[in-house]
Amino acid sequence: MRRTKGFTAVATSILKWAVLVFFLLVALLPLCWLVLNSLKTNLELQTSPFAFPARPAFENYANAMAMANLPRLFLNSIIVAVGTVFLNLLVSSMAGFVLAREEWRGRDAVRTALEAGVLVPIIAFMVPYFTLVTKLGLYDKLYTLILVYAAINIPVSIFLITSFMRAIPKELEEAAIIDGCGFFQRYARVILPLSRSGLVTAGTFCFIYAWNEFVMAMLLTSSLSSRTIQLGIRFFTSQFITDYAGMFAAIVISMAPSVIGYVFLHNKIIAGLTAGAVKG
Amino acid sequence: MKGIFKRALGVVLVALLALPALVVAQSPSKSGEIVLKWPCIWVGKDSKAQAVAEIVESFNTANAGKIRVEIEPQPDYNAYEQKVRTSLAAGVAPGDIFTIKLNATTKEYYQSKLLMEFSKELSGAWKSSFDAGALAQSTVDGKLKTLPFETAILPIWYNMDALRKAGVAAPPATMAEFWTALDKLKASGVYPMSQMTGDVNAWTSMIWFSHFAVSLGGQKVWEKPFTDKAFVESAKLMQRIFKDYTTPDAVGAGAGVSGGHFLAGRTAVFANGPWYAGRADLRATPFFPSVTIAAAPSAGPNKGIMISRLQANIAAGETTDKARRAAIINFLKYLTAPENVAKIAKSSGAMFAVKTNYLPEDALQKQFYTIAAASKTTATDLEAALGAEATLEFAQQLGALVLGQITPESFCAAVERKIDR
Amino acid sequence: MRKRRNPNAVKIALFLTPVLVLFTAFFVYPFVFTFVASLTRWRGIGAMRFIGFANFGKLLGDPTFRLAIRNNVIWALASGFVQVPLAALVALILAREPRGWKALRTIYFLPNVISTVALAMVWSALYNPQYGAFNAIRGLIGLAPRNYLGDPATALVSVIIQGVLYIGYFMIIILAAAMSIPRELYEAAEIDGATTLQQEFRITIPMLRGTLVTAITLAMAYGMRHFESTYLMTGGGPAYATTTMGIDLFNKMDALRYSEASAAGVILILLGTLVIVGIRKALGKGDPMAEAGQ
Repeated sequence: MRRTKGFTAVATSILKWAVLVFFLLVALLPLCWLVLNSLKTNLELQTSPFAFPARPAFENYANAMAMANLPRLFLNSIIVAVGTVFLNLLVSSMAGFVLAREEWRGRDAVRTALEAGVLVPIIAFMVPYFTLVTKLGLYDKLYTLILVYAAINIPVSIFLITSFMRAIPKELEEAAIIDGCGFFQRYARVILPLSRSGLVTAGTFCFIYAWNEFVMAMLLTSSLSSRTIQLGIRFFTSQFITDYAGMFAAIVISMAPSVIGYVFLHNKIIAGLTAGAVKG
Repeated sequence: MKGIFKRALGVVLVALLALPALVVAQSPSKSGEIVLKWPCIWVGKDSKAQAVAEIVESFNTANAGKIRVEIEPQPDYNAYEQKVRTSLAAGVAPGDIFTIKLNATTKEYYQSKLLMEFSKELSGAWKSSFDAGALAQSTVDGKLKTLPFETAILPIWYNMDALRKAGVAAPPATMAEFWTALDKLKASGVYPMSQMTGDVNAWTSMIWFSHFAVSLGGQKVWEKPFTDKAFVESAKLMQRIFKDYTTPDAVGAGAGVSGGHFLAGRTAVFANGPWYAGRADLRATPFFPSVTIAAAPSAGPNKGIMISRLQANIAAGETTDKARRAAIINFLKYLTAPENVAKIAKSSGAMFAVKTNYLPEDALQKQFYTIAAASKTTATDLEAALGAEATLEFAQQLGALVLGQITPESFCAAVERKIDR
Repeated sequence: MRKRRNPNAVKIALFLTPVLVLFTAFFVYPFVFTFVASLTRWRGIGAMRFIGFANFGKLLGDPTFRLAIRNNVIWALASGFVQVPLAALVALILAREPRGWKALRTIYFLPNVISTVALAMVWSALYNPQYGAFNAIRGLIGLAPRNYLGDPATALVSVIIQGVLYIGYFMIIILAAAMSIPRELYEAAEIDGATTLQQEFRITIPMLRGTLVTAITLAMAYGMRHFESTYLMTGGGPAYATTTMGIDLFNKMDALRYSEASAAGVILILLGTLVIVGIRKALGKGDPMAEAGQ
């Protein structure tokens, strides 16, 4: 018996590491490729995409850094992404709370309608979005992007946040009610803290969406003061020629905040959360 | 605690509902200066960017206090096209000045009341500075709602180093010479030509097909039903080319892959427009000095017809304000003045519908100008003639055709169904 | 079952208002606009002309669109029942905090941060028959190269494999839920002598049921509206082999066929809603939390 168990344990361990290493390769491959190709000339990139460059072309990074108004676009992107996360989490958590923890007529219909929003191919809505934004006089404003991105992410945030909020045991909330907590306190003091890992997950999705979004940014803005980094990256794409090597360098640079933001969110905030969950 | 949340909630609600009200209407420009917005694709890395910026700058200086043209950079061309059509569909002109690629699909824009009509203003010397054929192509139902600006010819490119090495001295002129040249290239160890079925238009293969069809069916071939013999024969030629003379990745390849093979010297024959001549990566290849362009070999009775297209037409936002209208016309006259067009041509190697005396110094760019001037007749390519839907069907079914899944006849019938007549 | 009026009705309404305002502006109004446009003939210029349901009839009779629906269903199934289980597998392993798990969690998620353009380019290059890595491997074992993306027989599978291998999104959803399962449950099971695998099946998976249903539903919804990576890798070809409803819709807008594109959008949303509701009904059974939600 012991020997079989030992064998199973070893086999499980090998399998486990095989899975982890496989996905590690899948994940690292495009990253390494991106960095490798950002150091090539365009000719090298087009002719032999997997070879090493004859000489690392660091000038691609210099070009990307010299790209028109990079710092301003960067700052705009940070404002938009942070604003989107804040606005989206605020409104979605409020709605999520009443959808997950309150009983009322029409709730399921509202929830299904909101969640059906994840199906929407946003490109199909380009004309109505443009109409709405221009008619309301919101065209070419930085906060317009915050509003639009926060709204676009409502369905997925509702999906995630209600799912996490519904998993909170009823007893915790009942205990709070006995302690004299009202509606707002249950939201702010009980449910929000306990669904923090859901909020962080939804917030991560929002942040990445806002950071990477391009189509709406292009459609709804026209001046430097309201444009984001993704539009800067596209300066390497002209009508007939795309400077992929330069673009990749710009992508690598623009990725940095996302990665740092993600690492920070997850390794700091989630660590705090799990500690809290164990205690709770 | 309760109070804080209620207040925070209140602030958010008020902010949400009041957002539209907070927005100040577009402030009128100071002291009667007319500001013209130009959402422009010739920015960033585009080869025309600098010359265009300089022209706008000198126009603004000359008209200081009266007219100011502002360029709104639109670096990504596909996104720019989306923005133009979205804006027009939403009932808003995309800008005071903007450009479109005029083809069978975008001719629909001529129905829009948002576009300015130029036929009254375009007369005399201004009119005669334009190529008459390009002007005729830009006139739809008697209306001239865009001015032809950038044009292109789409010839066949030969890497003559590779051809000579294979024992071919000159670009083939007849189909017999063509097949011999391809066989020799193949024997010399290269894939003879770049072909592709990817992207929305199977670009380089679409150029080939256009050459064949025009040679077989004449300049007006695109007016015939797509089931015409000229198209069926062209389809057969494409089948043969894909079967024996191109790279194994041609089905599904995009323009980047197709061009990449030519740049890498893996293929020796290619098709593309003048913009490709300005690429730094092409110039970096060892065979660059040998690159020669020519019309495709004549597949049919019509010889020497060059494929050309309107690459960018200029449009303007309609306005009832006479001063504004005059300002727009004023700027367009300046932009299309031969000396300014020559300036843009010089920096980019692009070709224009405005007649200039400019001839590029660069050998390859010069070939484009001389071949275009020498072409007695031109015809448009399939995409320009038939529009987006038919072109997409062409690209998709081309894959099925060359893999032998459908016959040339059913290939042509499929495309015919997507043509809007 | 009639529910009693909730005493917090006003507060509930207050909490819902911001979401409903935004949702109405950015989902309901555009949907109504799209639906109205789908009943007309409209090329994006001038007034719409009402023609009834003709666009729907035309689309459903179009072999390309029917192929697109089929491809989306395959995408949805692959996302829900291949991608999510893979993500769950990785999440469950990471939840046990093996060596380096924090770094791994970050790295697995990174591909979701980088642009889809770059991801599509690297995979197109990997699949390339001339210089691609997969064909290099085939060459080593003496097989002829395959044009994975250029062969209608393998193109769809190839783009789906690319898609489902990037598990980052669903992994972090499942991991976040798995990490908040109380440790005491596992400690008790350990004392009872349950192996790791038994613990996963007896504790983790039942506890994660709601999250898994959410992840599967979300993944299937994304599968139904799938667009970007395929568009970048194959443009929906060759011979429409990889086309999806989203790609067809996009192409129709490019051709200024706005009313047909709108009809495609309406069909996509309605079919997708059916999938969401169906999956909830099918997987939600026996789960008290999910049933309460239905």
